[in-house]
Amino acid sequence: MTLLEAILLTVITASTPLVIAAIGELVVERAGVVNLGVEGMMIMGAACGFAAAIMTGSTFIGVLAGVGAGVAMSLIFALLALGLAANQIASGLALTIFGLGLSGLVGASFIGAKREAMPKLDVPVLTDLPFVGPVVFGQDPFVYISVLLVVSVWWFLTRTRAGLVLRACGENHTSAHALGYRVLRIRLFAVMFGGGCAGLAGAYLSLAYTPFWSPGMTAGRGWIALAIVVFASWLPWRLLMGAYLFGGITILQLHAQGMGVRIPSQLLSALPYLVTIVALVVISRRRSGWNAAPGALGKPFSRDY
Amino acid sequence: MSFNRRDLIKGAGVAAGAAALGTSAVAQAAPLQVGFIYVGPVGDFGWSTMHDIGRKRLEEVMGAQVKTTPVESVAANDMERVATQLARQGHRLIFTTSFSFFQATMRVAPTLPQTFFESATGTATAPNVSLYNARFYEGRYVQGVIAARKSKSKTIGYIASFPVPEVMHAINTVMRGAWSVDPSMKIRVVWVNAWFNPGREADAARALIDQGCDVICQHTDSPAPLQLANERGVFGFGQASDMTKFAPRAHLTSSVNNWGDYYVERARAVINGTWKPGDVWGGLGSGLFRLAPFTNMTPEEASEAQKIAEALGSGKLNPFDGPIVRADGTEVIGAGGRLTDDQIRSMNYFYRGVDVAVPG
Repeated sequence: MTLLEAILLTVITASTPLVIAAIGELVVERAGVVNLGVEGMMIMGAACGFAAAIMTGSTFIGVLAGVGAGVAMSLIFALLALGLAANQIASGLALTIFGLGLSGLVGASFIGAKREAMPKLDVPVLTDLPFVGPVVFGQDPFVYISVLLVVSVWWFLTRTRAGLVLRACGENHTSAHALGYRVLRIRLFAVMFGGGCAGLAGAYLSLAYTPFWSPGMTAGRGWIALAIVVFASWLPWRLLMGAYLFGGITILQLHAQGMGVRIPSQLLSALPYLVTIVALVVISRRRSGWNAAPGALGKPFSRDY
Repeated sequence: MSFNRRDLIKGAGVAAGAAALGTSAVAQAAPLQVGFIYVGPVGDFGWSTMHDIGRKRLEEVMGAQVKTTPVESVAANDMERVATQLARQGHRLIFTTSFSFFQATMRVAPTLPQTFFESATGTATAPNVSLYNARFYEGRYVQGVIAARKSKSKTIGYIASFPVPEVMHAINTVMRGAWSVDPSMKIRVVWVNAWFNPGREADAARALIDQGCDVICQHTDSPAPLQLANERGVFGFGQASDMTKFAPRAHLTSSVNNWGDYYVERARAVINGTWKPGDVWGGLGSGLFRLAPFTNMTPEEASEAQKIAEALGSGKLNPFDGPIVRADGTEVIGAGGRLTDDQIRSMNYFYRGVDVAVPG
């Protein structure tokens, strides 16, 4: 395995949780809701996923539990922000703080437990191909799921009627409501999808990426996913690119350090953020102007309007 | 029955007086309240976990004489607030358990003269600030020796947290140990700018292993790098606690911290009124830390490592004996000399042969 191949492999695994969490939040925001609770839902996914996997011995059930935990957390948010039309920013922040605390409680008895990492795909012949083999055919299942998710979300938003309705709710919920669409129900489904994705990303962290549980192990990845959605101007392909760019620079700067490149490590550590922001800002400026945010983003909807 | 306003005020005054009397009466027999401020979660299975085990040991030994309050995952810039709050709640002894807290501890201590602070690592004491630390570099020296025996690529990978002297002298000492076996040993260092970030620590380990390092040293707190070493079939060392079970094929040894006995001693000193600012820096001989049983090593390798650990513990071997030459070629100390503790604690350079960029 060459160094380049190894770097590519690592970049893909490092970017995958960001892709999964961000694509979920993209759908939520396209429906007009800002859920800042990604970090909290993600870490609950990590805790519950790991706990379930340890108790049942099955990684698959662990993944399901992670997704379930994310959805359950998102329902709390939905109750506050959709049901009671509370401020979405405050509700989302509360969800993050709540999730960080609750996950510590859920995971308390699983500290120090260990599991083998999830096995990687091994297709006879294909995985052994030079270069493309391990990179394209030798990843863990999450990586394929993440790409599949991005493709499906893109297809759903741009090629289906339901996607059009969801976007309508995000652009102008009053009009969507006037046309007879159930704004709150559609937003509820979007929020649940976002929660499921965040939970899945969390389960990826505790089951495949670093297979153990530790409080605070998401270490801010939920916030990065949120930022990527904004800087990708709410477009799935751009989001995929932004996440891989972020992951790529993160890994490359580690390699640069290992090779003794004489640049302050603090600057190298800041590079992923800088490069991702600059790249995505430049792109969104050239293509679609600045006003790419869904029109009704963050505005609570209630039927009394 | 009705109360007028005057009665209410009178009543409140009496109640307040009674309450004040009550607290002062209780204070005589009240347990000593001891606060612990951790930089990471108690479940990091590393640095903060071991401080918390020390706290539990304190409770176990002292029983009803103490009452402890742990506060976990405190950011360095939030430390002063947490410490002030603990002091206001009546904590008379507060352990601030990270070098990241040291500056904040020195700032907050003069404002709380009734409270005794104990900073785990630091560079100076104050009338109510003590320092305590273990000479973990002795463990690093042993790691270097073992790494030189185990490495085929002759390259050690080091996952570093922050460019503070504690980390820099540890990197130097690992190489001192490695060179004592094989002068051709090399090191690659990656700074992750965190004490605890499992994902990034694992990424750093991946990068180092991909670059050919086959023994991984970590100066961060999670078992992620060691676990990754296990997955990739290279060797590694555990940090702060015995991490054998995370990496049955990769684990060589771990430095296992033991703060409990020190905590008991200091709490007793406060209760007896004999607390004085001190500066404890104990090595392998002091019991502040020990090496976990050697694993994945031949009996010869293990007995060599054991002998070196004993020599370090008894003081026969000192990793800071001269000659020491900095990376830029200037001599720090000649043959026959030895660095003082202050020089070790303020080390901000790498030795010649440690080809690593010093961050900003």
